[in-house]
Amino acid sequence: MSTEAAADFLQAAQLVDIQGVKLELIKKGQGTPLLFLHGMDGVEGCSRIIDLLARDFTVYAPSHPGFGASELPRAYSTIDDLAYFYLDLLEHFDLRNVTVVGFSLGGWIAAEMLVKDASRVSRLVLGAPLGLRTAERRKSQVTDLFTLDPKEVDATLQVTPTTKSPNPGALPEPVLERIARNAEAVCLFGWSPYLYNPKLHLRLHRIKAPTVLLWGEDDRLAPLEYAKSFTAKLKQAQLETLPACGHRIYVDSPDVAASRIVHFATLAKAS
Amino acid sequence: MKVWQFSEQAYHPAFDVPGSMRVTLSSRHCDPAVAHTLLNRYLDEYVLADELGYNIMVNEHHAAATCMSTSCMTTLAILARQTRQARLLALGIPIANRSNPIRVAEEIAMVDVLSGGRLEVGMVKGAAYEVFMSNRLPARFNDRFWEAHELIVEALRNTGDNFSWDSENYQYRAISLWPRPLQQPAPPIWMTSSSAFSSIEHAKYDYTCATFLSGAVARSVFDGYRKAYLEAHGRPAPDKRLAYLGVVAVAGDRKSAYERAEHMKAYFTTAARLEAQFRNPPGFNPVKANVKMMQAGPNAVRPRLRNGAPLPSDATIDQYIDAGLMFVGTPDDVFQQLGQFYSDVGGFGNLLMMGQAGTLSHEDTVDNLTLFAKQVMPRLQELSMDAPEVRYEAFA
Repeated sequence: MSTEAAADFLQAAQLVDIQGVKLELIKKGQGTPLLFLHGMDGVEGCSRIIDLLARDFTVYAPSHPGFGASELPRAYSTIDDLAYFYLDLLEHFDLRNVTVVGFSLGGWIAAEMLVKDASRVSRLVLGAPLGLRTAERRKSQVTDLFTLDPKEVDATLQVTPTTKSPNPGALPEPVLERIARNAEAVCLFGWSPYLYNPKLHLRLHRIKAPTVLLWGEDDRLAPLEYAKSFTAKLKQAQLETLPACGHRIYVDSPDVAASRIVHFATLAKAS
Repeated sequence: MKVWQFSEQAYHPAFDVPGSMRVTLSSRHCDPAVAHTLLNRYLDEYVLADELGYNIMVNEHHAAATCMSTSCMTTLAILARQTRQARLLALGIPIANRSNPIRVAEEIAMVDVLSGGRLEVGMVKGAAYEVFMSNRLPARFNDRFWEAHELIVEALRNTGDNFSWDSENYQYRAISLWPRPLQQPAPPIWMTSSSAFSSIEHAKYDYTCATFLSGAVARSVFDGYRKAYLEAHGRPAPDKRLAYLGVVAVAGDRKSAYERAEHMKAYFTTAARLEAQFRNPPGFNPVKANVKMMQAGPNAVRPRLRNGAPLPSDATIDQYIDAGLMFVGTPDDVFQQLGQFYSDVGGFGNLLMMGQAGTLSHEDTVDNLTLFAKQVMPRLQELSMDAPEVRYEAFA
């Protein structure tokens, strides 16, 4: 996405106060409520799919605390903190019958929310979620982004050629600040254990909402094996893979993913 | 002027291995028998430095061919027994990378007692890439540094009952140092800085502030320290609270000195060999600093020549001298260069001297240390004669 397009997209953001935390929130569209939880590159990275979903849902797309322009409370240090925070958000707006959609890191947050309290949620879509064990002894299953050559990060996460400038220093300062905040927040929540909660696998069975897992067949961050273990731990989940798609499903296949989410939500409503 | 001999204790035979010298360099390139010879050689040079009237500084790094000292306190525990006069400086212990600050305090106390109270302790943030080995969280690193510092100081200075501790990252039921430090209330504390801003806290605590190979930046570090010190304590900062680290190559004639300097230059060229992703892990620096770094690009952190241009990566010895990173030549040359630098930065009381660096041989190191001790060190006393506040005003 170009810098101008990102700036336009973020124009719609408002700052809301939830339990004393100033949250950057994009709320758009019409229909039943959908909570959209972005991945590691911030809410701006998901602009395309958010716009698509807004045709059928009232989309609540926040920047996670610590990301974008959202405040990071000093006491926050784990994905649990974000999960409880988003349960507060659902109460704050008194949302019911919510479709929760989370990609990557956001999928992890969504899973952590629902193992705690799913009373306001009717459907769950996890797009290449993280949060399950990423390595065992000497064997790593999920690529370590922190030790990757920065020039290779985009190519690892998406199939679509990157549109990022090779010279980020020339970007406007507010954009650089978001890049720096997003990177720092990923580090805070995902440095070690690397992008997982060692307890999550014991709790995933608590998610009883109908769940769809979407996974890119060319996901070079978390392979299909990882997707299969995730699916196996959930009660009512089906795994669907997307061809020619990497970890950033919202970049590589936003249209396919959006229509799949709409279809799933409609079916669940009918049943 | 106090002079402190320092060597990174490199495993220089690995310098020929292509690629990074840190983090990713496989340890299969380390022949432990060669490491045995080298480490003992460097310790011999430290013992010689003690005999020649130097004080001693050691550091530590991890997963690096450029520095085999993986623990300041292990090295100093040996030197505590093998030296007689030298002050023993750990500069420093990367306390925010350590999981157990009380263990750090225990080692400090033990070496202080062993050495008869000759220990000085640097608590440092350390290089950013060290978090890849310690695996401690890069985010909030600075907060954790000060939290660990507070705990270590409380433990060292405690003369009352045992105490318990509970802070964000550290919890202990019973803290009691056996032995407790010989120097009271604690060994002198040092910290490092590379900006006027980061030296402010060091001044408030009355800690010695060292800046490493920073050239002209040393001026702003020292100015920042002096200003903050005066505000905090109502008196000018003494020179002994300020330290500069540079490479020294001295010989009877210039040609030999430059040959030595070429060997020592390998320190700079190998220390710089590290992949981009390990240089600045997210969160290690504040957001504002990271934004500035992105804007400034890769030349932002390079030392500067006197004309303001960045020091080239393939700089000549003369350029290293010009930038204030190396002091090279005959004893007269080196004294003149040190005097010039001393004036440029407004004075300092400690020269942290890399008397061995890179591939400099044992024989050359012995000669380097001996010649400097006999013909330069005594003359450095001249530099500390003026009252610092007078000289500072004169150069401001």
